[in-house]
Amino acid sequence: MADVQPRVQAPVSVAKDEIFQVRTIISHPMETGLRHDPAGQMIPRKLINKFVCRYNGAIVFQADMHEGMAGDPYLAFNLRAAESGVLQFAWEEDGGAVFTLEKPLTVRA
Amino acid sequence: MMPSSSRLLVLRRSLLRTALGIAGGGLLARSSLALPDDDAARDSRLVEQLIGRPAVISPRVHLSMPPAFANGYRVPMTLSVDSPMTEADHVRVVHVLAPKNPIIPAAEFHFTPQSGAAVISTRVRLAQSQTVFAVAEMSDGSLLMARSWVKVDINGCA
Repeated sequence: MADVQPRVQAPVSVAKDEIFQVRTIISHPMETGLRHDPAGQMIPRKLINKFVCRYNGAIVFQADMHEGMAGDPYLAFNLRAAESGVLQFAWEEDGGAVFTLEKPLTVRA
Repeated sequence: MMPSSSRLLVLRRSLLRTALGIAGGGLLARSSLALPDDDAARDSRLVEQLIGRPAVISPRVHLSMPPAFANGYRVPMTLSVDSPMTEADHVRVVHVLAPKNPIIPAAEFHFTPQSGAAVISTRVRLAQSQTVFAVAEMSDGSLLMARSWVKVDINGCA
């Protein structure tokens, strides 16, 4: 799907041990598989079923999402600054597609 | 989702439809549905069925949702758990349950000591007015729970 657009808002520079907020959103219909089209046919389920945030390769936050999550799933969560590196974000869609994004992070001593 | 509970849900839906039909404009049905039916024992049983162990209602878990929200498609939610978030003592996962949705588990949020604070803001769908649960699984294995009543006017799951 061409219209799936992940976005992340995170600071570029934080102090060591600072707890900072990361806000993420991905444009996605989160089709539940419970709806019918006007012809009465079931619309198949297509969800972003998983979101993973990695900090220098290690998983630091993960969300398993089901039918009860709203469309364009928005997640705002916190992280603790350890060392400079990269934040990697991955959204996994039903059917196996994965959408990813990376943000560099500088940690001031 | 277990097939037995999805059958139950279909039954509940047809009962609801009948109730709405009898009430004509649906006014009567709405007023009876809107009552926040607080039943801690029943809620605890439900958590035991879904997660395997009973949870205790704890002031350390904060589930903040609007008491009334017009649109069930995107109901904002902030949940936090008081925890030092160290290796020895942290929140492992928080389950969000919407017992009156067609599919009850809405999400699980997995935290780590690197989370710094067990806080998450997101948006959920609610099929009807209901009490939403947040159940936090702590690193020592205890289950702590908070509940929040939300009245919605538009079914967010249709």
